[in-house]
Amino acid sequence: MKKPVRLAATMLAAAVLGACGTTNSTTSTSQPFKAAWIYVGTAGDHGWTQAHDDGRKLVEQQLGTGVKTTFKENVPEGPQVEQVVEDLVRDGNKIIFATSFGFQDAMANEAAKHPDVKFEQATGFKTASNLAEYFGAAEDADYLTGMALGAASKKGKIGFVAPFPIPEVIREINAVALGAQTTHPGATVQVVWTNTWFDPTKEKQAAQSLLSRGVDAIGQGQDSPATGEAAKAVGVKWSGYDSDQSNVAPDIWLTGTVYHWGPYYVKRVKEAMNGSWKTGSYYGNIGDGMIDIAPFGQSVQQSVRDQINAKKEALKSGSFYEFTGPLKDQSGAVKIAAGTKMTLAQILSMDWFVQGVIGSPKGG
Amino acid sequence: MIRIERRLRESRWLVVAVPIGSLIGAVILSSIILLATGHDPLATWQRLLERGFFSEGAFSATLVQATPLLLTGLAAAAAFRMQTWNIGAEGQLYLGAVGASGIAIALQSQSAALVIPAMVLAGLVTGAAWAAIPGALRAFFRTNEIITSLMLNYVGGLLITYLIFDSHSYWRELSTFTSRVFPQGKYLSPSAAWPSLQIAGIGVPFGFFIGMFAAAGLWMLYRSTRFGFEARVIGDSRSAAHYAGIRTRRKIVAVMALSGAFAGLGGASEIGDFRHVLDPRGLQQASFGYGGIVVAALARLNPFAVIVVALLLGGLSNGGFSLQGADFPAGLVGTLQGLILFCALAGELLVHYKIRLGRPAGVSHKPADAARVGAA
Repeated sequence: MKKPVRLAATMLAAAVLGACGTTNSTTSTSQPFKAAWIYVGTAGDHGWTQAHDDGRKLVEQQLGTGVKTTFKENVPEGPQVEQVVEDLVRDGNKIIFATSFGFQDAMANEAAKHPDVKFEQATGFKTASNLAEYFGAAEDADYLTGMALGAASKKGKIGFVAPFPIPEVIREINAVALGAQTTHPGATVQVVWTNTWFDPTKEKQAAQSLLSRGVDAIGQGQDSPATGEAAKAVGVKWSGYDSDQSNVAPDIWLTGTVYHWGPYYVKRVKEAMNGSWKTGSYYGNIGDGMIDIAPFGQSVQQSVRDQINAKKEALKSGSFYEFTGPLKDQSGAVKIAAGTKMTLAQILSMDWFVQGVIGSPKGG
Repeated sequence: MIRIERRLRESRWLVVAVPIGSLIGAVILSSIILLATGHDPLATWQRLLERGFFSEGAFSATLVQATPLLLTGLAAAAAFRMQTWNIGAEGQLYLGAVGASGIAIALQSQSAALVIPAMVLAGLVTGAAWAAIPGALRAFFRTNEIITSLMLNYVGGLLITYLIFDSHSYWRELSTFTSRVFPQGKYLSPSAAWPSLQIAGIGVPFGFFIGMFAAAGLWMLYRSTRFGFEARVIGDSRSAAHYAGIRTRRKIVAVMALSGAFAGLGGASEIGDFRHVLDPRGLQQASFGYGGIVVAALARLNPFAVIVVALLLGGLSNGGFSLQGADFPAGLVGTLQGLILFCALAGELLVHYKIRLGRPAGVSHKPADAARVGAA
């Protein structure tokens, strides 16, 4: 009984000491370079945030003891982000990566306050001399995933569980549809919106509603692998998103779009360390490896694998680009003329579905 | 056998001793967990307190979290005092944000002297109206307001999502290229930004300032007005109140609306003080409405205590984010915060109840026991 009491007394003393405020923030040159990440979800979500955290781990691995990384998870979008950034700056972090669009305003405000710290915002658009922006062209891999879905579907009816009716997601669905139509001419992609990035229950319900409507292959653009669980119950083949999610239902797993943030993070942290860091807007793709597809599941036939791998090489080399005309919208009208490549600005603001997508690009 | 009995008299020293005791309990329990997970308890506590309250800028940051918690805490306290269980502060806060941002967009070319009072008023009115729905259902149809007010939180959440993501509403920005890349609300003009009052180097948000007056107002209302007295009577016994000629139905709707007005003000403050845009995702992630229920419970529904508890929880939240790191997962932070709240609420139980070992004296249901007591 005595021990806890003494312990408590020590704790209280510590609390009082802490209250007196003894901040010893001595930054000597021998200390490692500090880099931090801010996540909207949890680091182990098997999806979006985990893909970023794998990137952070790669930084630790490759840059060794010269770097000390940390992260803050489950950070709500809004004013709390500014406090989290302030706290990280106080701890001596010199480069801060934020991985949710909703962090952008706070990052821009903090970048203005701390010119000596480098800020990096994923999926944003604001830049400053010490605020860069980065994202990956998931549509490259989505096209290849679509090819696998098209080949797996007998009836040519594919389902897609989608988060928000926004250009980022719309272009992914379009890429899936275009890919599917190469391996299964005339294939359709039926869309259900969940209006959430991460909500396993909602995602599963959306997948079930698609499966009950008779789709025989199902893809998703969500942050959790819940679609795979719904697919497992009825044995319909499925594709994932963000991270390799094959372990949820390996027998019926096809492939999925994955992000490899690591190499970019390593490069940027190195640049921040040696002083060559510059702001910019980086849009990675399958060519530089920021985007890729996950390893194929056992059910994907060799002929389909060969076909997809050939297309992947063509995408990498630049001899093929998925958003090249002729592209028709849902009504059949030509939106992009034959031979014309869509510009980055057009892709970033894409608000129409290609022919064969069932659903409204305005949601609902 | 252990029995819990209500104390007939609450002794004064207990009111002081129990909170200190529960604090010690919280420190001991969480230190054990910290030691078990390989963390230094001393350093952890020091950092939590320092970053939550005492380091430079920490208190200003804590006020940012405490402002909405103060207002939703008052919302809960206002309703719970009458034993009316408004669980809907979350949705009422959303509606307050919708109202305040809507009026600010409409008046964007006007001066701050007009826009800011209009936003305050709009937040109060929309929050009150949203809360009056479960209030009226309770008063006239005797539905359970816990269920209806809770369900309206989901409706409110879907509504703000709809306004920004699923429709071309008045609140949504459509003109810029970036807003086509990602759906956004319209950003308010600078005249709609609420002032922050600098007191001794600490930035006090205008919403917190209003909240302190609101707390005093609520205290006065329940202490020295007829309205407050009648509300308390209804809380103790609705039938007694009815017998005494108190118009219970009106009062229930009025108290729910008052509660919702506080929460709606919280939403207006989120827009005016901090966000300056209707932000459906951020508002829902923060869940200040539910946080307010914890604040009110810890404050024993005392409006002034709500101010203190809101500050404590705000600091605990900020300090908690500060603790997090690669080797200090968010789950462990949540466990520590949970333990502190658990001990505080458990301590609360000890103030009102006593724990006795053995049979209660003088109270018995069985004749045999009664006989034995009589014999003794």
